[in-house]
Amino acid sequence: MGKSYFDETHCAIGHPKSTFMQWMLTVDHKRIGIMYAVVMFTFFFVAVAAALTMRFELFSPGQQYIEAQTFNQAFTLHGVIMIFMFIIPGIPAVFGNIVMPLMIGAKDVSFPRLNWFTFWLYIFGCIVALTSLFNFNISEGEVLFKFADTGWTFYAPYSLNTDTNVITTLVAGFILGMASILTGLNFLVTIHRLRAPGMEFFKMPLFVWGIYATAWIQLLATPVVGITLVLAILEKYFGIGIFDPSKGGDPVLFQHLFWIYSHPAVYLMILPAFGIMSEIIPAFSRREIFGYRTIALSSASIAGIGYLVWGHHLYTSGMSDTAKVIFSFLTFFVAIPTGIKFYDWIATMYKGKIILATPMLWALGTIITFAVGGLTGVTIAMVGADIHLQDTYYTIAHFHYAMLGGVVFLLFAGMHYWFPLVFGKMYNETHAKIAFALNFIGFNVLWFPMFIAGYMGMPRRYFDYLPEFQIYHQISFIGALIFVTGLIYMFTVLIRATKNGKPCGPNPWNATTLEWHLPSSPPPLENHTKVPYVDFRPYEYHHGQPVVKFDENMRRID
Amino acid sequence: MSVEMNTNNVLEGFTSSAATFAADIDQVLWVNLVLSIILFLSVVGPMLYFAVKYRASNVKDEDIENITHHTGLEITWTVVPTLMLAVFFWYGYSSMKTLRTMPDASNAITVKIEGSKWKWRYEYPANSNGYVHKLGGAFTKPVQDENGKVIVKGTMDKSALYVPVGTNVILEMTAPLGDVLHSFYIPAFRMKEDVVPGRITKQWFKADKVGEFDVECAEYCGTDHSYMYSRVVVLPKAEYEAWFNSNADTPKGNYAKGGDAVLQRHGCKTCHSVTTDKELIGPSLKARILTKEQVLDVIKNGQAKLGYDMGAMPAGLATGADAQEIAAYVAGGLKGKQPASFAACSSCHGEDGKGNFGVAPSLVSYDATLLRNVLKHGKKGMIGTMPPFPYVSDEEVSAIAEYLNGTK
Repeated sequence: MGKSYFDETHCAIGHPKSTFMQWMLTVDHKRIGIMYAVVMFTFFFVAVAAALTMRFELFSPGQQYIEAQTFNQAFTLHGVIMIFMFIIPGIPAVFGNIVMPLMIGAKDVSFPRLNWFTFWLYIFGCIVALTSLFNFNISEGEVLFKFADTGWTFYAPYSLNTDTNVITTLVAGFILGMASILTGLNFLVTIHRLRAPGMEFFKMPLFVWGIYATAWIQLLATPVVGITLVLAILEKYFGIGIFDPSKGGDPVLFQHLFWIYSHPAVYLMILPAFGIMSEIIPAFSRREIFGYRTIALSSASIAGIGYLVWGHHLYTSGMSDTAKVIFSFLTFFVAIPTGIKFYDWIATMYKGKIILATPMLWALGTIITFAVGGLTGVTIAMVGADIHLQDTYYTIAHFHYAMLGGVVFLLFAGMHYWFPLVFGKMYNETHAKIAFALNFIGFNVLWFPMFIAGYMGMPRRYFDYLPEFQIYHQISFIGALIFVTGLIYMFTVLIRATKNGKPCGPNPWNATTLEWHLPSSPPPLENHTKVPYVDFRPYEYHHGQPVVKFDENMRRID
Repeated sequence: MSVEMNTNNVLEGFTSSAATFAADIDQVLWVNLVLSIILFLSVVGPMLYFAVKYRASNVKDEDIENITHHTGLEITWTVVPTLMLAVFFWYGYSSMKTLRTMPDASNAITVKIEGSKWKWRYEYPANSNGYVHKLGGAFTKPVQDENGKVIVKGTMDKSALYVPVGTNVILEMTAPLGDVLHSFYIPAFRMKEDVVPGRITKQWFKADKVGEFDVECAEYCGTDHSYMYSRVVVLPKAEYEAWFNSNADTPKGNYAKGGDAVLQRHGCKTCHSVTTDKELIGPSLKARILTKEQVLDVIKNGQAKLGYDMGAMPAGLATGADAQEIAAYVAGGLKGKQPASFAACSSCHGEDGKGNFGVAPSLVSYDATLLRNVLKHGKKGMIGTMPPFPYVSDEEVSAIAEYLNGTK
């Protein structure tokens, strides 16, 4: 067995001897992906803690443990971390980095040093966001919790009026956006230039398609939110009067600009997740995927149409009724390719041999939760229905079913799928399945009651509520406890496996795509020994066995 | 949050008969629910079935079939959901038409609504006597004991939006400049529209049922967002007409005129504590205490906005040690030996610093002139910016002044 990427690495500057510095300066896409995962999941648990604090407070009506202002800061903290630090870098930063170059037979991304820089830019953005948590009054030795209380959407004019540290948070958002743009740029060039010879676009694995569509959104849409955040900063400091109505500005303009990015951003999150689904379903059905081209093109069309639908966040904002109808109409066109993908995945299971390993359980669980998330999204795409449901718990439940039950669940699915690839070891499947069950049950108990509460008229971002809603909050609370237990359980299983897991060889799942055809496990520093020639489709199975096989020098032996 | 009447609450609205279009919206939601369940089952049903039928132990490797296309099926699962989506769009569109097509103004009552942090205010057209009803105000939060048990229920008192049953009501809504977004949401009516500073947004409804229904703010607006609560009270037509053409404050009686009630109704108490010295969002009103920093700030920068006969107070009347000395004396409540440097102040603020008959304000108590001007124009001070409250009447200002000076 040769050396793996854990034993040696390329660095951005020099050849440091210490392991620590080798990690800090590494340009290896696999190591960078792992570091993203560590930082992102750390923040993820901070945001989970903020959410749990809110659930405790909401257990019964009236004030329980924290003050209204702290509650408002808690949901802002939850949203800002989950969106800007966790789910936007999300799957591309972790698996786009680790797996995508392996899948196309590349030795690294096109610009490894830029990749290193991007990671540290992301860390810098996170640090700026953390500094916005507190105000330090050194002379009096005071530390005040001064995190923004605007909600993660930063709606003007509230964000311009509040005296919390909203500017620092906006700056952090800008820096994190910059990191996202650079990631997109790097991946676009990589996918265009570094595919193995013979691998045309329609021979790429579908996860690469997801990353590709996402990269375009990162590159083209993120600048809009950058501009918006800069305008908000200028408005706050120099009073340029673009959003502030008392200076002749228009607060609804902020909402438009914000959602021109932030709506495509949800497709930026979900498309790579759909990519993971498209990898797992054929691998654990042991057969070729159904409708490869349709799935690939539907990703591209979702990315395209996704730009045209932002106005569906503004049905009650005072926007013109004509615009509402047009945005509603366009929104339904996103649902069509999404639905087709789902039917293609289900058809892939038909006459396959379905192995219910942990990644497959996560994928199938996500089909259920995302179907709920997607269909409730269709409900609020209907203008008349949304006028009632906008800004209620219904919308919150929809969003979490789609984002948590879609993107994050598939991220977890990907974690279980590629864990043996990354570490060369296998986790304990029994425990991982128990963790899945806890998460799946907890998640549904937590979020489903909110559909009903929202329909009854429970508005979001409420510190206190009418007593009629108590029962829904209490069921949610129980769900939250189960869910958090499941999360901790799952991470414990995985972290233990990095030490104690059994070595599993390069292709434990009998999968077909190139990342499973590495010469050793974990992968060597520069991936495949030779760049393979790809004249085959990504998911070719015959009688449940991968058709294409390679020897250790990447010569075909099938 | 606990409200005055628990017999009538938001859940009552789910009979779908509270407002004319509530039934339309509910129909939309039911159609949507049924079709959504069909679509959901069309995905999850086969998935579960296949997961069982083609489970690994049940399938021999030779039996796996690599089917990658089926034109008929693919067309079906594209076209059928698309048609369903077309149905959804149509229902969403047509229900919006009902909700958003304003009735003719001549055939409706137009009420002006102003949302501001954190209260709703309603202004009616002039009645037959030329009297304009102005209602609304802030919600009184419930009081809890140390165990979190509610000992005093929250209340809207008499403040509400009073409307007649079976009549079109047009809402013309806005928020003051300098305020933030709000959203006027009546769950029982399935109706919501944002309230935007500097814009007028419109919404209408026709209540079908006599009763009381909750109004909530649905667009996040800060600390007391969840207490920006109000009620809409639907009255029989005759009862409404009788009240509307009278000069009585509300159909349920007149507002309490005491200073405390006025402070509550205008939402003053969400930012200012009256019973304690605690600084909430603005300073405590328990006593007129100027901090040392505030006094120094006024001495340094002058004060042009309080509207006394004397006009603006110029900047820099005292400097250095003198200013410090004065600040300490004023912040101490004018107690102890008066420093000589106070002479710079006493020419306007009086020998005892207690003001000069409306020429310049008292430094230790509230007078009506001071309160009226701050309420009318707002105030930008060291602590923050207080928005103007131009609709507080002179009568109410006097009540507040009396009350504040009485509680000291």
